[in-house]
Amino acid sequence: MRRTAVLRPLLAWALLLALAVAWLGADFAFGQATLVATYAIAGLGVVVIIGQAGQIVLGQGAFVALGAYAQALLVQAGVAPLAALPLAAAAGALGGALASLPAGRLGGLYFGMSTLAFALIVEELLVRWESLTHGSAGLVVPAFGLAGWTAGTPAAQAAISLAVLLAVLAVCARLLASRLGRAWRAVREDEAAAAACGIAPAAAKLRAFAVGGALSGLAGGLYAHWIGFISPEQFGLVFSFELLMLAFIGGTRRLAGAAWGALVVVAIPQLIAVLRDTLPGDWARSAGLELMLFGAVVVGVVLLRPQGLAGGSGR
Amino acid sequence: MLAFLQVLSSGIAIGCVYGLVALSFVLIFKATQTVSFMQGDLLMLGGFAGLALHLAAGWPLALAALAAVLAVALLGAGLERAVLRRTIGQPHLVAVLLTFGLGMMMRGGVASVPAAAQDMYRLPFAADTLVLGPLVLAASHLWVIGATVVLALLLAAFFRHTRAGIALRACAEDARSAALMGVPVARMHTLAWALGAGLAAVAGLLLAPITFVHLNMGFIALKAFPAAVLGGLTSLPGALAGGVFLGVAEALAGLVLPEGAKDVVPYVLLMAALLLFPTGLAGGRGGGDGR
Repeated sequence: MRRTAVLRPLLAWALLLALAVAWLGADFAFGQATLVATYAIAGLGVVVIIGQAGQIVLGQGAFVALGAYAQALLVQAGVAPLAALPLAAAAGALGGALASLPAGRLGGLYFGMSTLAFALIVEELLVRWESLTHGSAGLVVPAFGLAGWTAGTPAAQAAISLAVLLAVLAVCARLLASRLGRAWRAVREDEAAAAACGIAPAAAKLRAFAVGGALSGLAGGLYAHWIGFISPEQFGLVFSFELLMLAFIGGTRRLAGAAWGALVVVAIPQLIAVLRDTLPGDWARSAGLELMLFGAVVVGVVLLRPQGLAGGSGR
Repeated sequence: MLAFLQVLSSGIAIGCVYGLVALSFVLIFKATQTVSFMQGDLLMLGGFAGLALHLAAGWPLALAALAAVLAVALLGAGLERAVLRRTIGQPHLVAVLLTFGLGMMMRGGVASVPAAAQDMYRLPFAADTLVLGPLVLAASHLWVIGATVVLALLLAAFFRHTRAGIALRACAEDARSAALMGVPVARMHTLAWALGAGLAAVAGLLLAPITFVHLNMGFIALKAFPAAVLGGLTSLPGALAGGVFLGVAEALAGLVLPEGAKDVVPYVLLMAALLLFPTGLAGGRGGGDGR
């Protein structure tokens, strides 16, 4: 039973990828698959923090930024990309742990606000610390490579991101079934009751943020390579909210929600671009239409499918 | 000293705008327990509505401004009736996302008007300066401060002396008891959203001579959140005071601290306030100036 529960969605995703390759051409489809997988890894961090541990996080983009900058700086300093990735994840985890510190004093919405402030401070720091980050001018990141081989083609990049995504999903699934995962869900449902059962809510939250931050940091490390150029404004508040929407559209209670959400968040702008070319007139070419439709999707999902596309009542 | 006074006046003025947006946020949050992340977009909409009515439709400025505020208030009420009502009783994040999505739709809607997307505009009022001896003050700053004081007094009177205002307060205090006392709670929620949206539009119109009207003027709401939190999230006078405090702190930081530090100040203050005073500076006491 467990095996089919894993196999069926995998087959569905493989079919989807095959269709995309056949319809849109291999390079484009693999490029999109790379982005979807990378966003999914970042979104998984939101799913862990919000869906499992039940904490509000409004600044997830900061963890991605920390991962991306750590990766870029390490690779520039001569560290092999593969060796730098764990350090990028560690940077994200450190950021997550730092951002979760106010949780000891604040609850719910106030704590969410503090993560927002954390993200804005991180963004400002990245802009201002010019000797390290080159400020708004950004950093150029060399291609991902391993011992002389570089992942230059979209297919190779897609393969790497998908492999990382699958590995991360497997790890997360194990984690959720463990003592820590149960502690998270207990804290989510009722903090006082969880504490009465011998779970330390503060420690559980800290770990949720560390894990969520690590996932997003890892995604940031990959993202830096795929895009090839990073600057602070890529990881601003809009990005944080994009990740939040990603998790909500997909469904925060299921790990698979991150993948579905990433598909929607990455695919909808593409879909709108295709639609735009078929529409007559100038007004359709403005960026406003894209924003409007995207907003409509968010509103629609929140209203009509509050559990997200992956649905279900959760575990 | 002179520079200090001028910086202070501009700090108070921009702080008043923060305060007004924070006020609109807190008003909605108190009455409906809904976190609105679209106040900045309502502000931008108010600015553009006034602009369109004045410049494109040729209405007199005062009439255009009034109509813009009413239109945005009506939009707020309509949105509450149509969609926002459904977030009541759900986790905060649902409202956050819903309002953020609605805000995106508003921004997208304005951005698809080509004339609006490309330029910055200024409303033709309060462009001159006022000279008081050696002191030169921007008229727009005085306008903002004056209008904020008047609005605060009006709101205070509304919440103290009118039936609707008292009902709204009862609703914010305890919705169930209010309902038992015959307060139409659902209608009060609509009223709260209308007021909140209208206030944001006023803030947009007041901001117009200072930063001009443009698509991203709503980002100022990001600084209004710290102001609201500084005030404790549930205190109206606290929100206004928090806004002014933040504006002044930011302006002084621009004067004293190195270049660039100014923009971080609100968030650092927010973090500090959250950690040191978990219930807000005005938390605990209902107190403050206007109520």
